[in-house]
Amino acid sequence: MNRSVGKILSFSLIAALLFSVLSCSRVDSGNYFGRTVPPDDNVLRYVSGAEPESFDPHISSGQPEARIYMALFDGLVENDPKTLLPIPAIAKSWQISSNVDVFVFKLRDNAKWSDGTPISANDFVYSFRRGFDAETLSRTASLGYFIRYSEDFNNGDVFVKKDGRFLLEHEVNGTEPYTVNAFGPETEFAKFINGPTRLTLPGDEKERAKLFEKDEKLRMAVDGAEFVPVSAEDIGVEAVDDMTLRLTLRQSAPFFLGLLAHQFFRPVPRHIVEKHGRDWTKPENIVTNGAFKVKHHRPYDELFVIKNENYWDAENVHLDGIKFYPIDENATILNLYKGGAIDAFLNHSVPASWIDEVRQYKDEYLDHPENATAYYSMNITKPPFDDVRVRRAFQMSVDRDALSNYRKVTKPLYDLTPAGIFPDYDKARAMVSEEMRVEKKKTPEEWAKYNRFDPAEARRLLGEAGFPVEGSEGNFACPKFPTDSVSLTFNTNENNRMVAEFMQAQWKRHLGITVSLKSQEFRTFLKDRNDLQYTGLAQSLWSGDYMDPFTFLGLHYGRQNDGGSGFADKEYDRMLDEANSELDFQKRYEKLARAEAYVMDKLPVVTLSIYATNWLKKPYVKGMYPNPGTLHPWKFVYIEKDPAKWDRNVDNIMAESNPRTTAQLEELKRTMTQN
Amino acid sequence: MLGFILKRLLLIIPMALIAVSVTWALIRVAPGTFYSSEKKIPAAVEAKLREKYGLDDPWYKQYGIMLSNIARGDFGISLKYEGQPVNEIIARHLPYSAVIGLLAYLLALAIGLVAGTIAALRQNSAFDYASMAAAMLGLSVPNFVLGPLLVLVFSFWLYLLPPARWGGFTSLILPVVTLAAIYAAYIARLTRAGLLEVMRSDYIRTARAKGLSERSVILRHALRGGLLPVVSFTGPALAALLAGTVVVEKVFAIPGLGNIFIQSVLNRDEPLVLGIVAFISVLVMIFNLIVDIAYGFIDPRIRYE
Repeated sequence: MNRSVGKILSFSLIAALLFSVLSCSRVDSGNYFGRTVPPDDNVLRYVSGAEPESFDPHISSGQPEARIYMALFDGLVENDPKTLLPIPAIAKSWQISSNVDVFVFKLRDNAKWSDGTPISANDFVYSFRRGFDAETLSRTASLGYFIRYSEDFNNGDVFVKKDGRFLLEHEVNGTEPYTVNAFGPETEFAKFINGPTRLTLPGDEKERAKLFEKDEKLRMAVDGAEFVPVSAEDIGVEAVDDMTLRLTLRQSAPFFLGLLAHQFFRPVPRHIVEKHGRDWTKPENIVTNGAFKVKHHRPYDELFVIKNENYWDAENVHLDGIKFYPIDENATILNLYKGGAIDAFLNHSVPASWIDEVRQYKDEYLDHPENATAYYSMNITKPPFDDVRVRRAFQMSVDRDALSNYRKVTKPLYDLTPAGIFPDYDKARAMVSEEMRVEKKKTPEEWAKYNRFDPAEARRLLGEAGFPVEGSEGNFACPKFPTDSVSLTFNTNENNRMVAEFMQAQWKRHLGITVSLKSQEFRTFLKDRNDLQYTGLAQSLWSGDYMDPFTFLGLHYGRQNDGGSGFADKEYDRMLDEANSELDFQKRYEKLARAEAYVMDKLPVVTLSIYATNWLKKPYVKGMYPNPGTLHPWKFVYIEKDPAKWDRNVDNIMAESNPRTTAQLEELKRTMTQN
Repeated sequence: MLGFILKRLLLIIPMALIAVSVTWALIRVAPGTFYSSEKKIPAAVEAKLREKYGLDDPWYKQYGIMLSNIARGDFGISLKYEGQPVNEIIARHLPYSAVIGLLAYLLALAIGLVAGTIAALRQNSAFDYASMAAAMLGLSVPNFVLGPLLVLVFSFWLYLLPPARWGGFTSLILPVVTLAAIYAAYIARLTRAGLLEVMRSDYIRTARAKGLSERSVILRHALRGGLLPVVSFTGPALAALLAGTVVVEKVFAIPGLGNIFIQSVLNRDEPLVLGIVAFISVLVMIFNLIVDIAYGFIDPRIRYE
């Protein structure tokens, strides 16, 4: 009797529990993922990734920080929410010299810091000088090296003064003198900065001595000269008057305007930095000039920024605040999203195992092409990858379509620059490619496979390089290949491993070569890769810094580059320099495309994939777009409380027009043509 | 007794020194620096950074500076999060871990002791089997599985509790339960085993023979002896719980010390790593000492000279 009562009791308990589970498992939210209820207040809750390193826009190079800086600091220009192209911010308009090496900005006269202090051109001069000062320890200063003498100042270089005048570069190097055509108001500073390039030498005496040892002519030329450090006042940044800022570059740089939206170029408040020193970024001290200001910061938990009433465009800021949550655990982020505790999160953050499920919610899942590529660098300084045939064999034995199907969130990459991000460049590249085909005397069929997927050709190339591939389909072997000295190194991460295993299988299948995999902790990996300590191949990911192909082509530019392959080629550098000094937009793209074709012929990399944005936002979050950098100008973002106006069956949010955002953008751009 | 405590307290110093030194050496051996990233930083900036933090000084000099800092109780400034003193970071994040850890500890103790005691007293009953099976499950399900499972049920099916983040009592429930499960299971098994052994011993038979009530036999005599293994387990366990638990803090996005510790290692943030290691090692040693002292009170057979 007792026992049966117990049984009935426990049975009904289980039944009750099950019932409650089933009845609660569906909170009706239409076709949306998880709980879809806008926040009660007008505050966006956004997961921004790793804990921000610093609130000083000059310091950190990370993307999580970039998104926070975009809320706190307004630069000369801001990114367009969809295209990322530059739109007016503190600068209401600008003029660019015909050589694209001088930029004159007109600042708006109503811009203020959050404490009410007005912003003038001098704030920008101070900030740029501070950014390039090596003492500031900016990790991103090199982005601004296009500004005249800024690299020399950052490096601590010296000018050379002899017989009362500064020596010029062309006098010593025998090159053509480089001068800048006067543009804008004539000033004393302009005379200096536009003049022929001065000779600069390393500030360090030992390094100078090394240089003199190699170059007798140089030593003779500077004998008895005085060395004058390049100072902050020497860089090409000038406040012509309170509301006019002029930047002078060392070369034509057509992409430079877009680069100015980068965090490095956002101003810092001189009066606060000088008052508090390094502590100026503490929440109790910090003063900002962006749409938002810091309310509180609880490290690893929450950064709460609220609307800055002193912001010059405050009336067009829709949110009352943003809560940035620093979380980098993807499963946790998705849990928070599904539970309705956050409204949006950063890119690349939907866990691989969830993509199929989440993809059904097309009003929320944002899977758009990104200004970012994944490739494997090959160490071309060590055999066997010092042989371009071996490199090409590895490149051409990978089925990238299959890789993309497998990865679900990427598209195939066949060049250095991702396709589909710069449509005009794509056209130029297609044209150059056709020229190359004719030059190399290939049929269109052959050309379609060149550098892409052609395992038979890959095996032939490998054989030609001295590593014949034996056997037949499904059973290849390459006994002579030094597998011991080749491995594929990547930083420990589930996605990286997935790709590495896929690639390992491809090479095994098509070349009969088993490449061993080496997973390394991130910083260990970075050191090995940057110092070319790895053998064989190393994982590389690159997010473009600005919307121009040069952000990718520049990866292999110069002697010390970020390409990770040890590739340095004077001809390639020359081609890029020439392209960047080309003023015609389309011709420049053609020249860049030729340079790209040149480097792809040398092939220091195995191309893999173009990234997709891969993040989610709730349908009530508007004015926020999956742009190619996942960089959000926050003043466009708003929370739509009326469910009738939520995103519903939107095919492509980038093509959809939101009248409110469009009007706001048009109003902003209106000043661009006024002077 | 006092001499014993003093001796043990003094011993903490060399032990902590060893822990810190080994950690220091390990960080040195690990490749990469706190400032390395995909993008190479300007050479002059790198030189300034290395100069600022003395990274190019001979190792014995760096080691000496580190030791003298620690001797003064100052772990220096975080390398990654510029301007933030390590002491401040530890003080800021310890409370999160401590709250969750302490609650989990109390919960584990409550569940474990009660379940273990009842199981021991009703050996071979349905309750005994059920609770020990549950304990076995608790031991074998790792918390990175249990955590998400609880989230699934309580956050997504029942919509009762938040799935992650710190904030309010409800947000504590899931991490505390997740954390407590494995400890409760241990404690239950230890309690049951300890009690069973003691219940068969002579002094319990004597107590019963004297006519003491069963309640008094168990609470006053049996539990005292039976709990010795539990005490020696829970001392270090409490230290570990208070100092932060990496997995649970990651899964539930809790800004505790465990979360910070992992991040500091990945960031190669040397002063922060050393600070946390020193702090945790001292904490563990102090709790071990407390356990040893508690032994003397619980078990009259143990005496310290």
